[in-house]
Amino acid sequence: MKRAQWVGWAFLSPTLIVLAITGLLPFIYVLYVGFFDWNIFSAREGLNFAGVNNYRRLVFDPEFLRSLWYTIQFTFWSVSISLILGFMLAQLLIKDFPGKTFFRVVHALPLMIAPIAVGALWRLMVIPGFGPLWYGLEEGLGFKYRIGASGTQAFLTTIFMDVWHWTPFVTLTMLAGLSAIPQEPKEAAMVDGASTWQVYRYITIPMMMPIILTTVFIRIMDALRIVDEVFMLTGGGPGDATRYIGLHIFRVVFPKTDYGYGSATSLLTLYFTIVFCWLLFVAITSFQKK
Amino acid sequence: MDTIMDQTPETEDSPAEGRIGTAAPLHKTRSGGFLPIDTNTFDRYFISVVLLVAIHLLWMRFVEEFIPLFVATIISLILGFIIVRWG
Amino acid sequence: MAASKFKKTLSWLGLYLVWIVASLIVIVPIYWLFIVSARSRVELIGTPSFIQTSFFAENYTGPLSDPVFQRYMINSVVVATSNAILVAVLALLATYALTRWKLTGADNVFFWTITNRMAPPAAFLLPLFLMYTRIFQIANWTLFDTRIGLILLYCVFNLPFAIWLMKGIMDGIPIELDEAAMVDGAGVWSILLKIILPLAAPGLAISGILSWIFAWNEYLFAATLTSVEARTITTGLAEFVTVTGTNWGEMAAVAMLAMLPALIFLIFVQKYIVMGLTFGAVKE
Repeated sequence: MKRAQWVGWAFLSPTLIVLAITGLLPFIYVLYVGFFDWNIFSAREGLNFAGVNNYRRLVFDPEFLRSLWYTIQFTFWSVSISLILGFMLAQLLIKDFPGKTFFRVVHALPLMIAPIAVGALWRLMVIPGFGPLWYGLEEGLGFKYRIGASGTQAFLTTIFMDVWHWTPFVTLTMLAGLSAIPQEPKEAAMVDGASTWQVYRYITIPMMMPIILTTVFIRIMDALRIVDEVFMLTGGGPGDATRYIGLHIFRVVFPKTDYGYGSATSLLTLYFTIVFCWLLFVAITSFQKK
Repeated sequence: MDTIMDQTPETEDSPAEGRIGTAAPLHKTRSGGFLPIDTNTFDRYFISVVLLVAIHLLWMRFVEEFIPLFVATIISLILGFIIVRWG
Repeated sequence: MAASKFKKTLSWLGLYLVWIVASLIVIVPIYWLFIVSARSRVELIGTPSFIQTSFFAENYTGPLSDPVFQRYMINSVVVATSNAILVAVLALLATYALTRWKLTGADNVFFWTITNRMAPPAAFLLPLFLMYTRIFQIANWTLFDTRIGLILLYCVFNLPFAIWLMKGIMDGIPIELDEAAMVDGAGVWSILLKIILPLAAPGLAISGILSWIFAWNEYLFAATLTSVEARTITTGLAEFVTVTGTNWGEMAAVAMLAMLPALIFLIFVQKYIVMGLTFGAVKE
């Protein structure tokens, strides 16, 4: 069938225009501003070309580097815990039974509610004075639990919250994946006397690999860009113990009106995210080919 | 980021006839370069830019006290050329 | 035989137990939020109890009768609804083009739209703020603090997954239908509206609802790209922490209100959430 190209592009163009305005232009703009010195409260007005000075400042900025490091730690723990938990739950729950839909709806709950509300409800859980989690730990176990004072506890609480928030997502994707893989190879291996572990190692996990990897990828991207929940739960504190990179930009860089430096920070965050995801992806694909 | 989606399992698996209207990708993947992964032209430019930025950042952090930054630019441009040409 | 039957019953019991414990862990914090929203300040003090017999309605009526909060609610509804409609229309047009024409370079365009979703939003805060306040400017009017600004912006996050979702559905609509209609002399628009639209409607509805929820839930940009006029309910919720301080009951009530639409829509889109969140990579 012959159709004029321009008609197709005409149908595509509204999408392209909207995405160009809100997706591509900001990227080009942040790239541009990052090379300038631009602070509305400084003596020199407007944009002054600064070369790579913003980036030179940035590689020595302890706050920025620390928040990057916190983000990596947070991502590592949150993603691995939610992945293992979600995978195990999915294994247990693969069987069909009455009432399954109800449980699935329950598990889809955290995925749909506003992240900012997730932060709010966890704040109410851990707040000293009346939060049940605080009460259980403090009064029940005699453990001193103050996320407003202990950086480690605040960090662990954000991980716990994120695991609560996203494990159901892992469970649901894994369930979808598990129910899509054929059962015959598994059964055949069982008949041949393979142990449960061998079945997992050589059949289930390899067959699940595409789904597992997709899930890991999405989970890592989500964890890297976390802001809302942590902002509501700890506000980045105490000190900067939970000030992950998104929160660092939102709470520290953005209000400073140091636009050139802020743009450099934003761009470098974008750079690290892209490189990280790309490396991950390359590792995943080459691993899969083997 | 193009490269990431370019090679996702789900797009690889989808048969050609399933994707009626989409044309073939502009760049063909080639193997046999010195890079450990198969790359297309876009990938090699992407890698070059990533390395350019990384070299500059690390240079500013650790080396610039001793050697000026333009040396890093020269190094990464040469490296970039090598990667795009033979990677 | 009896032993194996016993074992089977045990495994069923275990299965239910795991499901119930897992569901409880999911439910309890949400339930606690509801409890707090139903309590007055005095009731909150002391040993936390999960049983509530009274309902302290002031927590809800207070914000709901506040004109500022009413504006937040209206803004949220307007922004989310307009965004959902815009996303559905754009995704329909875009996937119509992507699946019905052999466009040179369309693959690259398709993947580029997807990468928009992957970028960390925080990295775009500053450039978007600067562009909204300084660049998109006509005389005194800027995109900053307008609903239109938010509606357009949320397309970046919602269009990619809507296009993924719709592309799968449009690929499933046989192209022979178009061709038959074309032979009968139908134009591109009448093919789209009379043949494709009815078949794609369920998919459009799902993309629309998921977009609606994501737009409603968004906080970061709503907080930085608005100041007074276009603030949404999520920013209102955050203000409880930063401005009002410690009226936890009201905060919980507002959080409940912010969660409500998601809870209602959940039943309709339950099956498609995983698909929506994984760009259709994982289907059920």
